[in-house]
Amino acid sequence: MSETARNRLMLMIALIMAAIYLFPLYWMYVTSLKSGSEMFANPPSFLPSSAQWQTFAFVWESRNLGRYLWNSTVIAFGSVALIAVLGTGCAYVLARYRNVWVDLGLFLILMLQVLPASLMVTPIFVGFTQVGLLDYPRLAVILAIAAKSMPFFVVLVRATFMAVPMELEEAALVDGNSRVGAFFNIVLPLARNGILVSAILIFMQAFGEFVYSKSMIQDVSLQPASVGLNSFMGPNTSEWNNIMAYATMYVTPILAIFVLLQRRIVSGLTSGALK
Amino acid sequence: MRRIIASVRDGRGFDFVLVGVPFAFLFALAGLPLIYNILMSFQEVDMFSLGSFIRPFVGIDNYVALFRQPETWPILTNTLIFVVGSIAGQFVIGFGLALFFWTSFPGASWLRGLFLVSWVMPGLVVGAIWNWILSGDFGVLNFFLRESGLITANIFWRSDPNFSLWAVVIANIWLGTSFNMILLSVGLSAIPGDLYEAADMDGANAWQRFWTITLPMMRSTIGAIIALGLIFTLQQFDLFAAITDGGPNNSSNVAQYWAWDLSFRQYDFGRGATISVIMTVFVMFAAAVYVRSTRHEVRG
Repeated sequence: MSETARNRLMLMIALIMAAIYLFPLYWMYVTSLKSGSEMFANPPSFLPSSAQWQTFAFVWESRNLGRYLWNSTVIAFGSVALIAVLGTGCAYVLARYRNVWVDLGLFLILMLQVLPASLMVTPIFVGFTQVGLLDYPRLAVILAIAAKSMPFFVVLVRATFMAVPMELEEAALVDGNSRVGAFFNIVLPLARNGILVSAILIFMQAFGEFVYSKSMIQDVSLQPASVGLNSFMGPNTSEWNNIMAYATMYVTPILAIFVLLQRRIVSGLTSGALK
Repeated sequence: MRRIIASVRDGRGFDFVLVGVPFAFLFALAGLPLIYNILMSFQEVDMFSLGSFIRPFVGIDNYVALFRQPETWPILTNTLIFVVGSIAGQFVIGFGLALFFWTSFPGASWLRGLFLVSWVMPGLVVGAIWNWILSGDFGVLNFFLRESGLITANIFWRSDPNFSLWAVVIANIWLGTSFNMILLSVGLSAIPGDLYEAADMDGANAWQRFWTITLPMMRSTIGAIIALGLIFTLQQFDLFAAITDGGPNNSSNVAQYWAWDLSFRQYDFGRGATISVIMTVFVMFAAAVYVRSTRHEVRG
């Protein structure tokens, strides 16, 4: 078999596998366009006979999706901002030195990275109640997410800082920069891309966060879209086309960001998690 | 005072501030809750004593009572099945896909990356989609299984106690496979190619090459990925909330969901904390394995 024929065959198989794997996603989009009766047709139709675009407007209005998405965005931006400000410096120091203390710090970071949110939420909830933080539920959730996701961010960004040659910083110091100046003028700009990719990953995680928001935000008008989706799906629901329309509007922005920045996100992810 | 400021601006103090503030933050919001959790597992904590710091101390009563509850062992067994089933499925499918995409062809790396969409989607959305796919009468999975002749009657994935846990396992395998695949691909591409050339000259076939070169060279990667899989499956919460809600009758309940359920639905925070402490020990163990397998990276 010639080289090109083999390549074509492999690409065909790969496309088929990707289609099978991504079928659930396709099913979400198709279902969201079906009418109430077509949704329950047997055998199911794999292309909607007449696309019901008005479902999206209806769900957006009736479920108050705009407010939910706004809350998700506030929570995600808050968490990312807090994590980026605190985590970047931490990653820098952990990448710059190599001694027992750094090893210990890294070990602690890795240990904290693995604590499941659903187990940590009990003590955090009780503690926040006692110090009165639950009066500001979105802030409470931001703090909890920041503590949960910062270790992951530090691990990823540290890998970026490791790739910045230390000679550049030393040269800046010799030229009369202070440590602060060298950090902000030389090191940070060089690590900018890695930090940005890691921040986007954290943003996507925080945008879909559920456990903390569900447990700590009682006020419906402050809840994010994940909690809204959960309360939309009652045990005996039958409006699956509406639910899928909700899910579509919730998830499409994330998917768009991911597909656009795919290459960078994947390489950023793999450089940190293991090498 | 001036010397401290100067040091922060241009000396070791700079490093201490950069690393000290985040660690203080993490200690306050992760370290303290961990300790507080252990303390609460020895106390009686309910809605009324929630706000006060002085609460009745009950010793190990929470632990004893917990293991007397009839649902405890089934739930722990479920957790084990969930973890083993998910990791096995994610790993085997992920490894298969990684091996396939390893044979380079144009577009391979882009398509491979596309698989990761399952991993970046909010867990609740993944759960909602699978909830619909797995639905009993109108679910598309039952349709495929019927058409291919694997089943004759519909399986009620979410409401049949024999299948409810597997419904979540299937969704979790889908969610985690891509992540496994990407990490395994990284491990595969790190194997030096001349090993295979040498094996080729010695006349080894594909099967022998896999068992004598690929697997042994991947050992530390595989260890890290299994440990990561354990960590991620023990964190899985959203899928339970979105698909079965732990039911029917706890048949799909697992420890991490139960801990939350005890605290936030039954308002027995003491017992929720107790389960959390037990599970945290397990997770810490998995984390230690993970750190060991990636030690080369950590030490640089």
